[in-house]
Amino acid sequence: MISVKKNNIEGWLFVSPLVIWISLIILVPIYIAFELSLFNVKIIGTSGKFVGIDNYIKLFGKSKFLNASLNSFYWIIGNAICQTFFAFTIALTINYKFPGKKIMANWIILSFIIPTVVVVVIWKLMLSSSSGVINSVLIDIGLLDEATGFFSSPNKAFLSLVLINSWRWSPFLALIILSGLNSINREMYDASKVDGANFVQQFLFITFPNLKSVLFVLGLVGTLLSFNIFDIIWLITKGGPSSATTTLPLLIYETAFTKFRISQAATLSIITSFLLLLFSIIFIKSMAPKEDD
Amino acid sequence: MIKENNFKLIFLSLSLFLIILIFFFPFFWIITSSFKSPEEIIATSTTIIPRTFTLEHYNKILFNSDFFIYLKNSLIVSFSSMIISIILSVSAAYGLHKLKFYGNKFVEYSLLVTYAFPGVILLVPIYLLFAKVNLLNSYFALIIVNVLFATPFAVWMLKAFFKLIPNEIEEAAYIDGASRYIVISRIIVPLAAPGIASVSIFCFIISWTEYLFASILISGDNLKTLPVGLAGIVGQYQIDWGFLLSGAVLASLPVILLFVFIGKYFVSGLTEGAIK
Repeated sequence: MISVKKNNIEGWLFVSPLVIWISLIILVPIYIAFELSLFNVKIIGTSGKFVGIDNYIKLFGKSKFLNASLNSFYWIIGNAICQTFFAFTIALTINYKFPGKKIMANWIILSFIIPTVVVVVIWKLMLSSSSGVINSVLIDIGLLDEATGFFSSPNKAFLSLVLINSWRWSPFLALIILSGLNSINREMYDASKVDGANFVQQFLFITFPNLKSVLFVLGLVGTLLSFNIFDIIWLITKGGPSSATTTLPLLIYETAFTKFRISQAATLSIITSFLLLLFSIIFIKSMAPKEDD
Repeated sequence: MIKENNFKLIFLSLSLFLIILIFFFPFFWIITSSFKSPEEIIATSTTIIPRTFTLEHYNKILFNSDFFIYLKNSLIVSFSSMIISIILSVSAAYGLHKLKFYGNKFVEYSLLVTYAFPGVILLVPIYLLFAKVNLLNSYFALIIVNVLFATPFAVWMLKAFFKLIPNEIEEAAYIDGASRYIVISRIIVPLAAPGIASVSIFCFIISWTEYLFASILISGDNLKTLPVGLAGIVGQYQIDWGFLLSGAVLASLPVILLFVFIGKYFVSGLTEGAIK
């Protein structure tokens, strides 16, 4: 009993510096945002009058809010599909033995370690409609008749951004999946081979179930991280064309820093935080793997 | 049996080809392009092997721009954020791993859920908060935010590394009369060194690549970081591609160099740490 009590105090001592740091930088701003959302403040630094829950009521009638929420939803789904595909392909490939495997495993993560702005520069150049290498290759092999603007139509712009963002994140996710693959007992594969299991069956019945706890964290953190993506979208399309790539983070930024409606932006932030928190709680409650250590 | 091996071989070579094309070719492309003449960069007919070679873009960015000021700022912010993040998360990860205290599961999940908040949602209120306490336009403003971004995942990774250290080693030290502090500094940290190295790189990368907060919280030109400086060129109506590309290559160089020396710890730390 005594040791349990001692653990309690000592345990909290160890985690408290970080817990205090994080709580201060999240809770105080959330409180400030909540206060702002009840007022009618426009430009940063000015004061406004108390309007109660008016900002919230108005928001739900706005088509911009609905549009951005839908875009965010498609953004999360699109990224989840693309990144799962890329990350598993990379992880399963690197898991094989082949010459150059070490170099490949070390450097595949290059797209993750460079600044996002550099990612933007790379793809703006490669996808440029006038001189981009992708356009000219697609024309050369006959897939396109003339150069296309990858960011000019709503659907193409959205899809291109999903692919660019997945390009940045998939290698990192692949390495985490690989760590899960490495922790799977090799003997299980050998045993299943004796029983006549094929490649696909092995993946479905051994690989996938054994990655449960890794996939849990990736599913939770990955969804939250991809929801929060801002810079790649902002620096390439600024949310356009015609708001097709305006996700909730872009809407908040636009409302605050180009339209100068601080209270509206704060209201959006509060609602968004609430939605994300709700998602996290449901996800953890329903998907958290049982601890077996 | 032969059929399955063939299938594997086809899968392997096809996916290797695609991975190299998709994930490595773009780097070859911007690096070679940064040495091309301005005319060749924007030419409509593209050639895989460059026809021209020039150092004019690098000359311009190194000797005729604020590159070194931005570089210095990025280095200061990223190193400080990394060191603070590591100290805080080693302590927290040890507490969560070793001391099953009341509320430890709650703290662990809450840490992951903090990823629900960072980003634009906090931008407006943090801006207002920092304005109130006079932190705008300071390195510390960026460090505070970067630590917030880096630590939740850092704790999660470190916990996995600590799990790999056999309990017996620690217990033997206690029997010999060692204190908690001695055990952590002489046993846990050295044994988890590869893990701590890889988490450090992660924290450094998070700070090195951060753009959003750096663009809003810093307005003075002498405190801007590299991503913000580069983004300024991207936003221009007439993009000077050569200038931009050489800037992009140079902004990536420090993390790539860091990776040359300790990258293998990062990757093996991630993949062999058996994160569970």
